[in-house]
Amino acid sequence: MIEFKNVSASYDGELAVLRDVSFTVNDGDFVAFVGTNGAGKSTTMRLVNGLLKPTAGEVLVDGVPTTALKTSELARRIGFLFQNPDRQICCNTVREELLFGFKALGEEGPAAEERVDAIIERFGFDADAEPYLLNRGTRQLLALASIIVLAPPTIILDEPTTGLDFRECVKVMDVVRELNEGGTTVIMVCHDMEVVGDFARRVIAMTDGRVVTDGATFDVLRDGRVLKEAHILPPQVTEVSMILGRDEGCAASIAQADTVPQMVAAIAQELQLEGRAAAEAAALANDVAAALSAETVASAATVVEAKAMPGDAGADGEGGR
Amino acid sequence: MIEFKEFSFRYREGEAPVVRDIALSIPDGCFVGITGAAGSGKSTLTYAINGIIPHCYPGDFYGSVTVEGLDTVEASLTDISRVVGSVCQDIDSQMVSTVVEDEILYGLENFAVPKDEIPARVDEALAAMGIVDLRDRTIDSLSGGQKQKVAVASVIALQPRVLVLDEPTAELDPASSVAVFDLLARYAREHGTTVVVVEQKIALLSDYADMLVIVDGGCIRFADTPDAVLAHSDELLALGVNVPRATTLMNALGAQGLYGGPTVRNVAGAAAALKEVLA
Amino acid sequence: MAKFLEYVPGNSFLHRMNPSVKLICAVLFAIACFATSNLVFLLALLAGALVLAASCGLGRETAGLCRAVFAFSLILAVVILLTTPHGAPLVPLPWGFIGTGSLLAALTVIVRLTAAAIPLFLVFYVTKMNDITNSAVKQLHVPYKYAFTFTSTVHFIPVFMNDMAGIMEAQTARGVEFDGSLVKKVRLMIPLCVPLLVSSVRKTNSAAIAAEVRGFNLRTRESGYKDYPLGAGDWSALAVCVLVLAAAIVLAVLGTSLG
Repeated sequence: MIEFKNVSASYDGELAVLRDVSFTVNDGDFVAFVGTNGAGKSTTMRLVNGLLKPTAGEVLVDGVPTTALKTSELARRIGFLFQNPDRQICCNTVREELLFGFKALGEEGPAAEERVDAIIERFGFDADAEPYLLNRGTRQLLALASIIVLAPPTIILDEPTTGLDFRECVKVMDVVRELNEGGTTVIMVCHDMEVVGDFARRVIAMTDGRVVTDGATFDVLRDGRVLKEAHILPPQVTEVSMILGRDEGCAASIAQADTVPQMVAAIAQELQLEGRAAAEAAALANDVAAALSAETVASAATVVEAKAMPGDAGADGEGGR
Repeated sequence: MIEFKEFSFRYREGEAPVVRDIALSIPDGCFVGITGAAGSGKSTLTYAINGIIPHCYPGDFYGSVTVEGLDTVEASLTDISRVVGSVCQDIDSQMVSTVVEDEILYGLENFAVPKDEIPARVDEALAAMGIVDLRDRTIDSLSGGQKQKVAVASVIALQPRVLVLDEPTAELDPASSVAVFDLLARYAREHGTTVVVVEQKIALLSDYADMLVIVDGGCIRFADTPDAVLAHSDELLALGVNVPRATTLMNALGAQGLYGGPTVRNVAGAAAALKEVLA
Repeated sequence: MAKFLEYVPGNSFLHRMNPSVKLICAVLFAIACFATSNLVFLLALLAGALVLAASCGLGRETAGLCRAVFAFSLILAVVILLTTPHGAPLVPLPWGFIGTGSLLAALTVIVRLTAAAIPLFLVFYVTKMNDITNSAVKQLHVPYKYAFTFTSTVHFIPVFMNDMAGIMEAQTARGVEFDGSLVKKVRLMIPLCVPLLVSSVRKTNSAAIAAEVRGFNLRTRESGYKDYPLGAGDWSALAVCVLVLAAAIVLAVLGTSLG
């Protein structure tokens, strides 16, 4: 559990970049921090893992203030994926890179080797490859792998999809989702609202070094005041449904649709109610309903898109920039 | 006019060509967006336009690339840069100055623009990018979005006929990305400048570009209006190219026979189309 | 606080001075510091340098610089202390002694280095990079390529320092404990030179290309837009520095002839 209690922070003792920030992240959460550049998101992340200490207030990791925890203690509890993987990667081979964290923590040994082997297998890395010769997306995955190989209970992702193409973005985020489903707490800074909408369960919006709001993902992304204050745009389907919802007589299911399948189902149902294209609409509504019950809402986009594209099923559908 | 004829290129240290058999004509004043998966060769295409290929990165160059009649192999890099203005990907290393005004002056001084013209050129460039108030600021004190605007302004001060930008919004938040594209598109429209921009944010590209070029495995897969390209949303996703969600939504409705109108590329289009469907 | 060697905007006398004159004055001042061993005179020069720093509001930056130079010169001072047996003996050593003269010599080194460094560093804090380059090219007839290379190198120092800080931060997040003895810290930092080197090669390469596509090769001595006229202040500053240097030399000569 991570708690911020009235935290303020600044660099070099100058102007406060964070003012009186309070929130709690529970074990197993998937939280996205959104807001413009300079809103204080990255500073917040630095505070979480103790790279920066608060000038006022307290940051507690599992009840212990970060000021009382050693670097290695914090690294064991919190993994941090930086925006630029090249700052993280420093070894000559992929294998050494994955072992590096164990060395830093003084935990080398057969158990570490085993875990490294397992992760190489899972990510399909070439163990002897030179990290700097890999392409950007693979380097990002390697940086992520070198953190999760240590199995920290919490991971922080600072704009994990920046600089990646769509396919790489899906790969990285699939790994993250799997980790979260396995119980890892995920805290992410992300500019891509489609990614936020697809993956995060909770959103904290920041502006000018303070928290604007903190709530369930789509509650936040549908709040006009918050969107304006934090200078963010909602995911596209949400925005479409918000526009349609302004019309009188718009069905609630349309006005509240946040994903492609939800919207397709809602529209099919609406058209059916109006007695148009009844047969097809009914069939489709059933299709989509079945798909929705089989999958979680967050991954439902995959279903629709994979259906249209049997050759590449499952690989695409998430992410979006 | 930019013309690629049977253009292929292999970097000296590379094994296979990164781009193959490229044939593409870009008319004057066209706003072109190039996108594709990582390693597809999209940046190489822009390097061929601004002469970085073959002048800075040598290799095997086949076919020809001409920009406003200049053959980019035969012309010197300096001659090409009189016609083509380039904003590189890493703007922090591109900056040669401490203060915004000096950064704008840099290219003007190099190209020996007459001294009495310089003040007006600097003013215009700053105004075009909406950064008049940043004139005396140190570059180090600027945000990413502001720096990007300075980088673009320093190039448009040279009044190039072609502007090439490599992932100008990679580090920017959505609001600043839109701002940069807005200013860029307005400037290009007013001056008839041809713009070629490589970008991952396809939703942004399709809102501004006249032509979308999709590169896959070193070949051009699509080169058409955004609407025409986005009609192939399934294929694009399979190529690892993202598609605006609004387009995915309308194409999904289309696949179910619930929508038969033209391709939609943004939220406004989807909302308008759906209002008609529901009316 | 401004980053290391990075321009701080302002309108002080030093800011307004001609860039080439600033550079020459700083060099003259530094030579003066090395020409004399008169501690009183060196202390006066140090005081003068500090007044200059304060006059352009760079007290904090200068304090930081002084700390760094002090740490460096302390090493030299210790060496001198142990190897220069002069004056009245204070502490006997197996190979000689530490005397009042040794102490004086050690102190002189510290004061001299600090005093010499301050004006040189101030030049970069109060002058825009392009002004240093352009003025050096126009007035000192330095070839543009050398001037540009020099200022670019200075420009990249804070960039690389920032990179190194980022890399160390990323490694700290992985559990590398940099806090500890200097030896341990250096040992941990050595492998990190690889990512730093990779990023600097990439950066300098793209910087070179970016400069080239903006007409770098066309640049001549006449290209600079701004003129850098010498004002009365510049001439006076030059005169003062020449006098300081002359005084230092006179003191040095007198010192040797008297000693």
